[in-house]
Amino acid sequence: MLRFSDAFAPSAVRVTSRAALAVSALVFVGSSAMAAAGSAHDSVLTILIRWAPLLLSGFLFNLLISVLSMAVGTLAGIPLGMMQLSSLRPLARLGYYLTQFFRNAPWLVLLFICVMLLPFEFRVAGLRIPFPDWVKAVVGFSLPAMANVSEILRGAVLSVPTGQWESAESLGFNRRQTMFQIILPQCIKRMLPPWMNLYSLITMSTVTASVVGVSEMLTMTAQVHAAEGSRPELLAPLYSFAMLCFFVYAYPIGKWTEYLERKYQVKD
Amino acid sequence: MLKWIMATAFTAGMLAGSVLPGHADVLDDIKARGTLVVGVKADYKPFGFRDPSGAIIGLEPDLAADVAKRLGVKLELVPVVSANRMEFLAQGKIDLMIATMSDKPERRKIVQAIEPLYYADFVNVLLPKGSPIKKWEDLAGKKLCGTTGAWYNKTVAEKYGPEVSAFDGSDKPLLSLKGGDCAGYVYDQTYIVGKLLDPDWKDGYAMPLPGILETPWSINVKLGEEKFAKFMTDTSIDWMKKGTIVDLEKKWSVPATEYAARMHEKYK
Repeated sequence: MLRFSDAFAPSAVRVTSRAALAVSALVFVGSSAMAAAGSAHDSVLTILIRWAPLLLSGFLFNLLISVLSMAVGTLAGIPLGMMQLSSLRPLARLGYYLTQFFRNAPWLVLLFICVMLLPFEFRVAGLRIPFPDWVKAVVGFSLPAMANVSEILRGAVLSVPTGQWESAESLGFNRRQTMFQIILPQCIKRMLPPWMNLYSLITMSTVTASVVGVSEMLTMTAQVHAAEGSRPELLAPLYSFAMLCFFVYAYPIGKWTEYLERKYQVKD
Repeated sequence: MLKWIMATAFTAGMLAGSVLPGHADVLDDIKARGTLVVGVKADYKPFGFRDPSGAIIGLEPDLAADVAKRLGVKLELVPVVSANRMEFLAQGKIDLMIATMSDKPERRKIVQAIEPLYYADFVNVLLPKGSPIKKWEDLAGKKLCGTTGAWYNKTVAEKYGPEVSAFDGSDKPLLSLKGGDCAGYVYDQTYIVGKLLDPDWKDGYAMPLPGILETPWSINVKLGEEKFAKFMTDTSIDWMKKGTIVDLEKKWSVPATEYAARMHEKYK
């Protein structure tokens, strides 16, 4: 029943992240050395220092998009998850289908639909409310986040042993009271690790917003590469820099998730 | 696949855009909001690229600034890519597009091109300095490197008799040229010009031949914006009269194109 935890095995996360650190460090050092080897150009380090403020401002944009998407996704995902668990059959079916729909749609396609179909501004009572691409991207990433949070919640609730429901019933709790006072409080710690994993995944995927023209880090990296004369030897260091930024941000989250997973391990 | 998704999404976006009620007149809108929003490239040096502060600079941003000055409004530059520039204009997200776009009949069905066309790209050859090739006819029997998919590879081969071997992208043919595997690299003149600004290429290579197969570029406004189109036509004529584009070519170290010089002569 613990669907949420077998989707993101902690050991796999650990191995991948260590390997990624090693690879990105290797690529970075190797390519820097290669590019530095004798030419009239500025060294790779000089170029990176020159453009770092711009690239990092792009990265902050990724973080902003990821945090907002996760916030909206969680706020919408919890009610959706509750809908899935509803004892009202049609409501549960609707919750299930909505969750499945957004969980199984490719993230990039959802992003495209949001960016292309939402208007670039709203007019409310003669007032122009701009609706920039990055906000549309937040909507685009919130949809899969919502569906995944919904599923995480469902998994967490179902992972609570049925004995708890039965005991609560015998103590005179009704279904609603059991859910809110007994089951859900136990779910929070069960949900936390997969929820954080989901956040990491959303953060990584925010770079796909570059395809729809949001000025996030990957877009900036490509533009910086062009501004430096599109030299092929700069590709590896510039993109490795982007990779390192994401890694430095996501790795501690991964470690923390692992720690929480160990700490909250369900022993039943 | 990605291209297909993009094409579909953009088409859908355009359909959605076309059913929304159109607003009065873009020229009035610009004046009312006090800002002209222009879509430019941010990855096409020296026509539009970023400086380390993040500002978009180049030949086309300069033209955009001139238009804003003529209208007496502030300028806002929006970075666009080939895949979204027409969509942004059709949506009304940008008022004007100056983004290295070749003028094609099928594009005129979607956006309105401003006549006289402001600029033209040519096909040219990047040659090592001291190459015996002094005119296009000298290419007969020589081996040229090219880029796969460039429409003019065949035309050049048939007309002037070189053997064109095409590679993916532009890094591979450039590498072959450096390695001495081909006599020259036949590609977009604007690209070769950008390459020649790079210290790696400036010293040993040149572009001595006149550009051929003129491909005009167009500045565009939304379809049906007759007043703004008229204003832009007048502006374009004035640029040609004053030699604005010839001057900007000098400012951005773009070798003088025959087109800009000819239009300047014609309207002087």
